[in-house]
Amino acid sequence: MNDAMSIPHLIMNASGVVQAVMLLLLLGSLLSWVVIFQRSFVMRRARRAHRDFEDRFWSGVDLNELYRETPPEQETLGAEHIFRAGFREFNRLLPKTRSPQAILDGVQRSMRVAWSREEDRLNLHLVFLATVASSSPYIGLFGTVWGIMGSFQSLSMAQQATLATVAPWIAEALIATAMGLFAAIPAVIFYNRLSAESSRMLGKYEDFAEEFHSILHRNLQGRGDAAAD
Amino acid sequence: MGRHSRRVGYGLPLLLAIALHLGLLVVSVIRFPSAEREPPNQAIVQATLVRAETATDRAQQADPTQAVEAARQAEEEAARRQQAEREAEADRQRQADAEREAALAEEREKARQAAEEAAAEAARRFDAAERQAALREQQEAERRRQEAEARRQREAEERRRREAEAERQRQAEEEARRQREAEERRRREAEAERQRQAEEEARRQREAEERRRREAEARRQAEEEARRQREAEAQRRQEEAARRAAEAAQQSLDRAIAGEAEAVANARQAQEAANGFINLVRRAVEQAWVIPPNVRDGATAEVAVRLGPSGELFAARIGRSSGDGAFDRSALQAVESAAPFSELRELPASVQRQYREFNLRFRPGDIR
Repeated sequence: MNDAMSIPHLIMNASGVVQAVMLLLLLGSLLSWVVIFQRSFVMRRARRAHRDFEDRFWSGVDLNELYRETPPEQETLGAEHIFRAGFREFNRLLPKTRSPQAILDGVQRSMRVAWSREEDRLNLHLVFLATVASSSPYIGLFGTVWGIMGSFQSLSMAQQATLATVAPWIAEALIATAMGLFAAIPAVIFYNRLSAESSRMLGKYEDFAEEFHSILHRNLQGRGDAAAD
Repeated sequence: MGRHSRRVGYGLPLLLAIALHLGLLVVSVIRFPSAEREPPNQAIVQATLVRAETATDRAQQADPTQAVEAARQAEEEAARRQQAEREAEADRQRQADAEREAALAEEREKARQAAEEAAAEAARRFDAAERQAALREQQEAERRRQEAEARRQREAEERRRREAEAERQRQAEEEARRQREAEERRRREAEAERQRQAEEEARRQREAEERRRREAEARRQAEEEARRQREAEAQRRQEEAARRAAEAAQQSLDRAIAGEAEAVANARQAQEAANGFINLVRRAVEQAWVIPPNVRDGATAEVAVRLGPSGELFAARIGRSSGDGAFDRSALQAVESAAPFSELRELPASVQRQYREFNLRFRPGDIR
C-alpha cells in the first residue's frame, strides 16, 4: 500500500456524490453505534432492575409496603411499573365495586397498558437500527456504482486502458460499499441481539403480570369467600 | 430505588461511538505505513545480486553496422567507378570534338589559302597583260612615228588623216582591248566567285553534316547516359533489396534468436544469443510494465530475477528499492506478468546457467 492507494487518500480523492454517500454512511454508522450503546445500557439496566425487583417482590414483603416504598411522582420502570399500575388500579377499584371480576378486569387492563408502555420503551430506536442494517449496503452500493460509472467515463478519454488506470477509481468506489457493510453488519448483529433481549424482557414482564394477577385474584377470592360466608 | 428510575442518556453512547470510529480510522491509517516499512529490510537480506549490469546489445549491433558499412563502401566504390567512366567518356568526347574542330579549321585554312592564291594569280596575269599591252603600244608608236617621219614630207594631210585614222583605230583597239580585258577580268572574277561560292557551299554542307553528326552523337550520349542511370538505379534497387533482406534476416534473427541457437556454435555467437535473450527479456518486461502515475523522475528500482531451468520465474525481488512503493510493485508486476521466459531453454547450454539470475533496472525515463 503506497500513499496513493491508502484509504484516507482514496476517500479524499473521491468524487462529490461518492463522498456524500460516504458521509451518509459514516453518519449512519455513528448513529447506529450510539443506538447500540444506548440500548445495551438500557437493557442491562432493565435486566438488573427486574432482578432486584423480583428479589424484593418475592421476599415476602407486604405489597402495600412495597407500593409505598417509592413516591408516586417518581417514574418506575419494567416490572415495578407494571406492579404499581396494577396495584394502584386495584386499590382504586376495591372500594367502588364488589365484583371481583370487574376489579380483576380493571387491573389487567391497566397492567396491559403499563406493559405496552414498557414494550415501547424497550424497543425504542431499534427500528432505526433495522433501517441502517437494511439500507446502508444499498447506499454503499449506489456509491460504488456511481464511482465506477465515473471511472469508466474517464476511461473513455484515456487512450490506453490498463488496469493501473482503472484501479484507483474502482478502489475508491469500492470503499463506499465497504463503508456500507461496515455500518450494516454491526447494526444487523445488534438489532437481532437487542430485539431478542427486549422480547425476552417483555416475556418476563408478562410472566410477572400474570403472577401478580393470580396473587390479586387469590386475594379477591379469599375476600369474596369471606364476604359470602 | 432512585438508581432504577434514572433514564439512560445519549451522551455516553455518543462518546463511545465516536471513540470507536476514531479508533478504527486510526488503526486503518497507522497500520499500513508500518507494514510499508518492513519490505526494505527484507529486500536487503534476501537480495541476490548476481550481475550488477545487464548485458548490452552492442555486440549484437556490431555485425549489422559492419555489413551496412561494407554495403555503403561498395556502393561508394561503384559510384566512383561510374563517375570515372563518365569522366573518361567525356574526355574522349572532348578529344573527338577537338580533333574534328582542328580538321575543320585546317580545311577552312586551306580553302582560304587557295582563294588567296587564285586572287594573286589573277592579279599577276592582269599585270602581265597590261605590261605586254604597253610594250606593244610603244612598238606601234615607234613604228608609226618612223613611218610618219618618213612620210612627213610626203603627205602632211595624208599623215594627219592617217594619224587621225590611226588614232581612231588605236582608240578603237584600245577600247576593244579594254573591253576584252574587262570581260576577261569579269569572267575571272565570276569564276573565282563561283569557286568561292562552291567552296562556301561545300563548307556549309560539311558544317551541317558535322552538326548533324554531333547532334546524333549527343543523342546517342544522352541515351547512353539514361541507360547508365537506369542501370545504376536498378543496381541501387538491387542493393537496397539486398540490404533490406539482410535487415529482415537480422530482425528475424533477433526475434527468433533462440531458434537459431543450435546454429550458433562458438562462444561469441553464444554471447550474442545471450545478449539477445537479455534484450528479449527486457523488451517483454518493458511491454508488461505499467508505470504508476505520479512517479518521480529519478526513481530507479532494481529487480533481482531468478529463473528456473526452463525459463519459469522462480523469484523476483526488489534488489534496490526506489523508495516509491507503487513503483517497486509495478516493476515486480511487470517481471511477473512477462514471466515465462521460455527462450532461456534455447540458449546454448554453456551460457544458460549464467543467465538464470540477472538484475533488471527500471527507470521511467527509459520508456517515456
